[in-house]
Amino acid sequence: MRLLVLLLLLIGGYANAHQFTPTYPKLELSHMPGIMKADMVLFNDRKEIRYYGVSVFDKEWNPVRFATQSKIIPINYKERKYLTIYLSGKGIKKAKYICSKSKILTSISTPSIVSSRICSKLK
Amino acid sequence: MKKLLLIPILAATANVAGASIPINGFIESKCVIQSDTPGMFGNPTVDKLSTKSADGGVMPIIRYDIVTASKYKAVITTPTNFSSSPNLSDSVEWTSTTVAGQMSDSGMSVFNTDKSIYNNGHTTEFDLVKAGSVWFNVTSEAEYGYGKAFPSGNYTALIVAECIAK
Repeated sequence: MRLLVLLLLLIGGYANAHQFTPTYPKLELSHMPGIMKADMVLFNDRKEIRYYGVSVFDKEWNPVRFATQSKIIPINYKERKYLTIYLSGKGIKKAKYICSKSKILTSISTPSIVSSRICSKLK
Repeated sequence: MKKLLLIPILAATANVAGASIPINGFIESKCVIQSDTPGMFGNPTVDKLSTKSADGGVMPIIRYDIVTASKYKAVITTPTNFSSSPNLSDSVEWTSTTVAGQMSDSGMSVFNTDKSIYNNGHTTEFDLVKAGSVWFNVTSEAEYGYGKAFPSGNYTALIVAECIAK
């Protein structure tokens, strides 16, 4: 069994991965008064994915208003992007999760597609 | 003679200098989602599409790599509609299962025993209490109307694999 798992790991070069870190980002002061920011890193190792969407939610998974350079992030295969999420006002207290989700183009016609979403939690 | 004695001393000094190049690394807590095997619907009967191999389909497999235990939960939602299909005039009934299959640590079998299922069986939540790699196998079946034949064309359905920090 272990050998099989090891083999699967070794031949897993095909695999398509999505990473979004850190797990527990911290809100920090930004250069603007009253605005807090969190720095995130997105890594795209999914060949068929070229865009990711970023969103922020409260603890009940209601959307929270935020600002960033672009809420839809164009990203190449094996590219790493550094994002800054800005929150203001009530959003600073309400925000609990920062998520990135793969966006699938309608032109992709694979019968079954996996959309991946990773959410980090603000502590 | 004195010069000859100096050679091994200088050589030893050079070795020490050459051995002091550090390689640093840092492994941070993270969850990685990998779409390991894209699924494929089989069409065993005119009214059914299924990813089961017995039905001629290919089961989608999603791999999760967990660096630190108990930091994330995995939430996998199976399709309840087609994201693209020919025009369907009748209803489609969806059934699905999601189980942890291959795992790098036998202790990960608790993922299956402790999983919770909701959303009419379409969403399965696993508490990732063990670090390592785990492959989740997803089966999805769609049945059209009451024994009605699916119209010919391309069918696409979406599985949502999530990793949510706890």
